Amino acid sequence: MASVDVQNLNKQFGQTPVLKGVSLAIPDGSFAVLVGPSGCGKSTLLRLLAGLEQADSGTIRFGGRDVTRLEPRDRDIAMVFQSYALYPHLTVRENLAFGLRLRKAPAAEIDARVHEASEMLGLGPLLERLPRMLSGGQRQRVAMGRAIVRRPGLFLFDEPLSNLDAALRSEVRVEIRKLHDRLGATSVYVTHDQVEAMTLADVIFVLNKGVVEQAGVPLEIYGRPATRFVAGFMGMPAMNFFDGVVERLGGRAVVTAGGVTTPIDEARFGDALEPGRNVTVGVRPHDVRLVAEGAGVPLPVTIVEALGMESFAHGSLGGSAPFVARVEADAEVKKGDTLHVAFPTMHLFDRLTGASLRTPQP
Amino acid sequence: MKRALVTALFALLALLPRRALAAPIHLWHAYRDDELAALVAILAQWKGEPVDAVSLPYDAYNAKLAAAIPLGDGPDLFIAEHKYLGDFRYRKLVAPVGDALEPGVFSAPALAAVRDGEVAWAVPLSNKCVALYVNTDLVSRVPGDLEGMVDLVGTIRSPSGAAVVPLAFETRNAYYVAAIFSAFGGALLDDQDRFGLVGPAAVRAIELDRWLIEKHAAPEDADGALVTNLFGSGQAAFAISGPWLAASLGGKNLHYRVEQLPIVRATGLPMRPLLGVESVMFSPTGAARAEVRALARLLASPEAALIRARYGTPSARSDVVMPAGDVRAFAEQALTAIPMPSSRAMSAAWDPANRAIRKVLRRDVDTEVALAEAKHRYDDVRRPLPEGTSPLPALLLLGILGLWGAFRWTQIVRAPGFGAELRRSAPAYAYVTHAVIAVGVLVIVPLVLGAATSLTAGNGDERRYVGLANFVSILTARGGPLLTTGSFYLVLLVTVFWTVCNVAFHVGIGLALALVLSRPTLRLRAVYRVLLIIPWAVPSYVTALAWKGMFHRQFGAVTALLYWLDRTLGLDLQPIDWFARFSTAFAANLATNVWLGFPFMMVVTLGALTAVPEDVLEAAKVDGATRWQRLRLVTLPMIRPTLMPAVTLGAIWTFNMFNVVFLVSGGDPDGTTDILVSEAYRWAFTRENQYGYAAAYAVLIFLMLFGVTRLGARTARLRAQAEAT
Repeated sequence: MASVDVQNLNKQFGQTPVLKGVSLAIPDGSFAVLVGPSGCGKSTLLRLLAGLEQADSGTIRFGGRDVTRLEPRDRDIAMVFQSYALYPHLTVRENLAFGLRLRKAPAAEIDARVHEASEMLGLGPLLERLPRMLSGGQRQRVAMGRAIVRRPGLFLFDEPLSNLDAALRSEVRVEIRKLHDRLGATSVYVTHDQVEAMTLADVIFVLNKGVVEQAGVPLEIYGRPATRFVAGFMGMPAMNFFDGVVERLGGRAVVTAGGVTTPIDEARFGDALEPGRNVTVGVRPHDVRLVAEGAGVPLPVTIVEALGMESFAHGSLGGSAPFVARVEADAEVKKGDTLHVAFPTMHLFDRLTGASLRTPQP
Repeated sequence: MKRALVTALFALLALLPRRALAAPIHLWHAYRDDELAALVAILAQWKGEPVDAVSLPYDAYNAKLAAAIPLGDGPDLFIAEHKYLGDFRYRKLVAPVGDALEPGVFSAPALAAVRDGEVAWAVPLSNKCVALYVNTDLVSRVPGDLEGMVDLVGTIRSPSGAAVVPLAFETRNAYYVAAIFSAFGGALLDDQDRFGLVGPAAVRAIELDRWLIEKHAAPEDADGALVTNLFGSGQAAFAISGPWLAASLGGKNLHYRVEQLPIVRATGLPMRPLLGVESVMFSPTGAARAEVRALARLLASPEAALIRARYGTPSARSDVVMPAGDVRAFAEQALTAIPMPSSRAMSAAWDPANRAIRKVLRRDVDTEVALAEAKHRYDDVRRPLPEGTSPLPALLLLGILGLWGAFRWTQIVRAPGFGAELRRSAPAYAYVTHAVIAVGVLVIVPLVLGAATSLTAGNGDERRYVGLANFVSILTARGGPLLTTGSFYLVLLVTVFWTVCNVAFHVGIGLALALVLSRPTLRLRAVYRVLLIIPWAVPSYVTALAWKGMFHRQFGAVTALLYWLDRTLGLDLQPIDWFARFSTAFAANLATNVWLGFPFMMVVTLGALTAVPEDVLEAAKVDGATRWQRLRLVTLPMIRPTLMPAVTLGAIWTFNMFNVVFLVSGGDPDGTTDILVSEAYRWAFTRENQYGYAAAYAVLIFLMLFGVTRLGARTARLRAQAEAT
């Protein structure tokens, strides 16, 4: 088992910089998720950790050992690929045993470990089959089994659930986490799906355009996003954003946006509340409260999405900013109604930089 | 009405025999330069019907005669060497000359050459044989006998100080060795058409030849060009050659005269060269025309003889005095020359004789062994045709198969729904018909005809049905030991070895290059790809001939490379006679065919490699595989299903690669590098047209390849089934 320490990693493909000075630290035994939109560099970072690409500059350490220039075979890692990458000409058993055979492990040990992995993943009846005779989910498990058998210090997952259907995805997600806990391994997991990130991770690294925008535990990422990007990326449905200006009104700080005025929680945002400051206000649909007419901001509803246990009302705040509000399933909201909403919990971001204006936690 | 008349007139004109309208005499010949000038001068004296003299290229001469005369399109008379009379008579291309032959005026050997018993089949014109050239600048007298040439070694110096070889002649050519042989009382063919170059006299003759070479009295490995070169440049004091040598000495500042060939000390008998008599022959239609025979008499007349003599050709007439000098000397030599046997058997004697001589000169085997082998070879080619058997059993079998086929066919047709299905498929048949016809005509029909030919023996009038006799003969190695030279099994062994070696190199090099070319970081990949396709794109016979030239012992590029290596690296490399030993000749063939064939494998492998997913290789990398292990354990097994058909194709093509084997080594040395297809070719085209035998070879090759590929396919299918369970 090994901790991962990345310092100032840079990688460029041709003229295009893909990773710009990325640093991160993953404690031993934790499940780290690299999440971000397409092209943010998360897969490249994973491949650099694996040794499948070479960094232009920077260092990578596993458990204190500098592996930056080492070949994959010398890094004590195992990887689960998005497309599983099973050896098509070998049976499941031979796929599992491949890495051990290469290292000339004794036959008895190979058998034992293969047996152990197949027990863990329920691959028993599949051992003599060829990959082309397996379903997607089965192949995925074989891919994981192949990684487990090697008992590496570090597991790398490259979007392993992307090729599975939705139902299978949530099932396998749980399996992966359970496996990680059981093995006590260190795992680095790449995904573009923020639900996977939130549910699997001990620590999340949100990447955007080659830099780490925020690192932290899931609830921190969710509740205290450091940038507008992170705030908008995490959470489903996405956070609502609208531009506004800070003002003082009747002794209290308010933000005016689109002709609507909302009070600001001064405890959270104290330092940044000079009047006239241009801000972007972020409100999660789940943080919206319905209030009586006149007490809140009017929201004319154009579309209602009913999901059964809750509904989402789409409209435009003050007639200009698109806005989604979560309402109870039995609230009987329909198109054409006007809701009145308040934002007890809001996020403020500098309109230019996107940085959060929240007072840092001690 | 008018139209009908015109049509009738044209038809009449077309139907009239051409000759009846114009009645010229058609004369064919293969003369050039001086000889052509002589002929023109002679024809200028003719005062009869117009003569249409056509000059044909020498190489195609006989073939054109054989093609045209039976169709009635050939000449009335033509000029050819008497040695072809046997073949011409067999093919019915000639008729007896009747009164065209003046009695009593031709030399005895010339008459013997054209007569069979009392009937003359040609009119002799001129004698051609070899004699002894003497370079009078270097020597003044001829040694008393052939062995005396050895005493002259090292004693003659050319004006420039270079060493001079006493006697230049084509030492490994049976035509010249025959002259020595005659001094021991032997002849290449006896009068019963049996192989004559065997026995103690033959041994002594060839060993005398070898002795002359080893004592440096004569050059080794000499061909006509070398002899001309040596004598013409004053590096040889004597030469044994024919009038053609004189023609090439024209411009040189060399003084020579022509003498009779010396005697052989060992027997005291003179060397007697083989005599070729150039004569006029008549086609069957020409022989019937009196004016044609008159023209022949003119061509053989004394006046014509004198004209020819002016151009350097000795006459075959004994009543004309030749001008003093070369011509008279050649004419004198011709009086003691031995007419070349004109029987068809002679053509089968040259190859074995030449091979035996070469082997003995190289000291590869004992002389007796080599000659016995030559006789065996000769007998092999000349063996009598098998008896014709009745085709009844085969026809019966065919009939039964036909009946059974018809029965099955009616069953199929009677099955319910057949009519409807047929109508539904009609458009499909429309699309497929022309392809079926093309394949049928171009592939199936020749195949069937070839198989049918393999059931016959002999050709022309002697063709007969012999059932499976050809196959039996091949498979039992014609009664000899199974692995002698020329035996089917030995050639099969060589062919299999040839195929295995080639395919191994093809796949190895093709695979290696494909792996290199598939690296994404290689620049100029497109350029390399084009360069590496070129060997495959150039026609194979062009490549074969080019490589053959490169392997030439004296002038070849490979030899030059060896010299260069020798000089720069100081190795003690001898020039290699590539085609003198099996190993080097095989290597030369192999090099050529590998050069030809690797691009195909490379291209197929390149395609197969693109189907190997990158992430599987990355997974192997992460699993700990080195580059070599990735290649061996992941890449190769994944491309194997694609490579197998290509390897099969390559193996079949190599098995049948006629071009390279025939053109590069030509089967040398001694037929040992021949593969089955080239051996079959020789049976068909160099050993008296034994088409049936050759066709049987072809059928056997087909069956073998068919069987092996079916076996391979079945094994692959069984393996796939086993994997699936």
